[in-house]
Amino acid sequence: MTLTTTSFDWVRALVHKESAIVLQPGKEYLVEARLLPIARERGIPDVSQFVDSVRSRPDADSNRRIVEALTTNETSWFRDGDPFTALTSTVMPALLAARGPNERLQIWSAACSSGQEPYTIAMLLEDSIPSATTRVSITATDLSREMVARTRAGRFSQLEVNRGLPAPMLVRHFTRTGNEWEVAAALRRMVTATECNLAAPLPRMGPFDVVYLRNVLIYFDLPTKQAILRRVRALMRPDGWLFLGAAETTLGVDDSWERVVVGRSSAYRPLKGA
Amino acid sequence: MRALVIDDSRAMRRIVTAILEGLGYEVRGAGHGREGLDVLDEGWIPELVCVDWNMPVMDGLQFVSAVRSNPAWRSITLMMVTSESEHTQIVRALAAGAHEYVIKPFTADAIRDKLGLLGLLPQEVAL
Amino acid sequence: MTSTDTGERRRAADTRPVITDLLVASTVESIAGEAWVALVGEDEVLVPIPGDLPVDPVSAWVDVVGPWTGSVVLTTGRDTAADLTRALLGPAVPEELEDEDVADAFGEIANVVGGNVKAALPGPSALSLPDVGAAPAVRNPADVCRIDVLWRGQPVAISVQGALPALPLPHPPHENPMHENPMHENPTHENGASL
Repeated sequence: MTLTTTSFDWVRALVHKESAIVLQPGKEYLVEARLLPIARERGIPDVSQFVDSVRSRPDADSNRRIVEALTTNETSWFRDGDPFTALTSTVMPALLAARGPNERLQIWSAACSSGQEPYTIAMLLEDSIPSATTRVSITATDLSREMVARTRAGRFSQLEVNRGLPAPMLVRHFTRTGNEWEVAAALRRMVTATECNLAAPLPRMGPFDVVYLRNVLIYFDLPTKQAILRRVRALMRPDGWLFLGAAETTLGVDDSWERVVVGRSSAYRPLKGA
Repeated sequence: MRALVIDDSRAMRRIVTAILEGLGYEVRGAGHGREGLDVLDEGWIPELVCVDWNMPVMDGLQFVSAVRSNPAWRSITLMMVTSESEHTQIVRALAAGAHEYVIKPFTADAIRDKLGLLGLLPQEVAL
Repeated sequence: MTSTDTGERRRAADTRPVITDLLVASTVESIAGEAWVALVGEDEVLVPIPGDLPVDPVSAWVDVVGPWTGSVVLTTGRDTAADLTRALLGPAVPEELEDEDVADAFGEIANVVGGNVKAALPGPSALSLPDVGAAPAVRNPADVCRIDVLWRGQPVAISVQGALPALPLPHPPHENPMHENPMHENPTHENGASL
């Protein structure tokens, strides 16, 4: 069965609203090809049925997956590079100075998709901090079991490693196997990937020194955004750092955060006593 | 900003040229490394050279070494764009003096991402 | 260039690998799939269904010379090769498509697929410039990894095929004597024909 016009139009509207990307009529094939794996992952054999089920019972995770599948940006390494620059230039030096030499630092990459974000963090740390692979642990979570499995495997296609990964980092941290590139074992050991639904009570994790929660809140309504920020804050150290997507903010959502400018980026820190 | 695109395939030159022109570059093409050096010798010095590896007359690796051995061309950023995709080949190209490496096949986004890393996105499209 | 192993040593040592020891069809499929999505168009999928190649096919190939030596050969109908060229060039397509444009674009696709196939094989290996025309003959039917796919409903074959004839068996079966000249091997194994 091919995609119905109603389903296609609904997907177009969603993608335009969340990413400002316009899917031209005639791109039904693209929608089919990109959404079929997500539909199958949920045991639905056909894309129109999948879209109908999301339309009738909207949920933020499905919306996010649909938008990400149809926008090519989500797979970039160093996506919006500034929050990564901030990590090595400001955040890590501050944390290393504040912590004892044997204290482990914990970083959370929430909604990690296929793993580009946690491994970007891991590579940067290994390149800039002595004994980073033993000193820092990275928790990578995603709601999708398939994305968690992909992150755990640490294997990327040729097209994926072409997207914003500097060539010197590719050769330093990856080996080629068949037609894929596999991230180094030491970096894979730094990253623990697990399933996690941000919109539900969170599992016992952390406490985290740094949290990357980027391009996730935009998909939720205000009460859910507030609940997620409250739960994330409960898992963070008092002097921790939260990075949101470039189009996201805690302002007007949850006033228990302080916005600080770090280089060309913004971070949010728990307000004391809030 | 100016870019030189060196590839023995006219089709590939057209594709890379179209991507770079879309980003605001003024682009010239060459069919192999020797032709590329001729363009530089004329005094047309681009900010960026995208260069294939396997070409007749002078291959991309020889071209990269030649550019790197001339101090007058130090300002040029060299990006290999090639289907050579072994780990060892990328290491060789970087050691010879290439700054970046794009593996064919690539999408327009891949070129754009790499130029972003290199600080070579013309200002008006940087955001 | 890389110092390359032409395969001579292994031929002498009687342990020359055949491509099916080194490469699985699914790797060729994923390489070709990525090439199509990136170069031909983001919604251009290759469907793994064999079709009958037209009587007047055209091939583009590159040679790989290394521990394994052979060719990566793409074969399709002439009209399909022209359609591929138009899709590849997109808005940069010239008004009048000439044979030379098709040879150049189809050859570049062979270069892209071939370069990635080479990288999936044991190295170091060297890659030739692309060639376009009638496919090189299959020298050893056991040294072929071939996929047959449909693009926009039209058949495309991708064959990774050894350049060397089969090694003599310790007791060669008499119906398959070794030829002095591999060019005279069974012509039905040419790439354009179904295997």
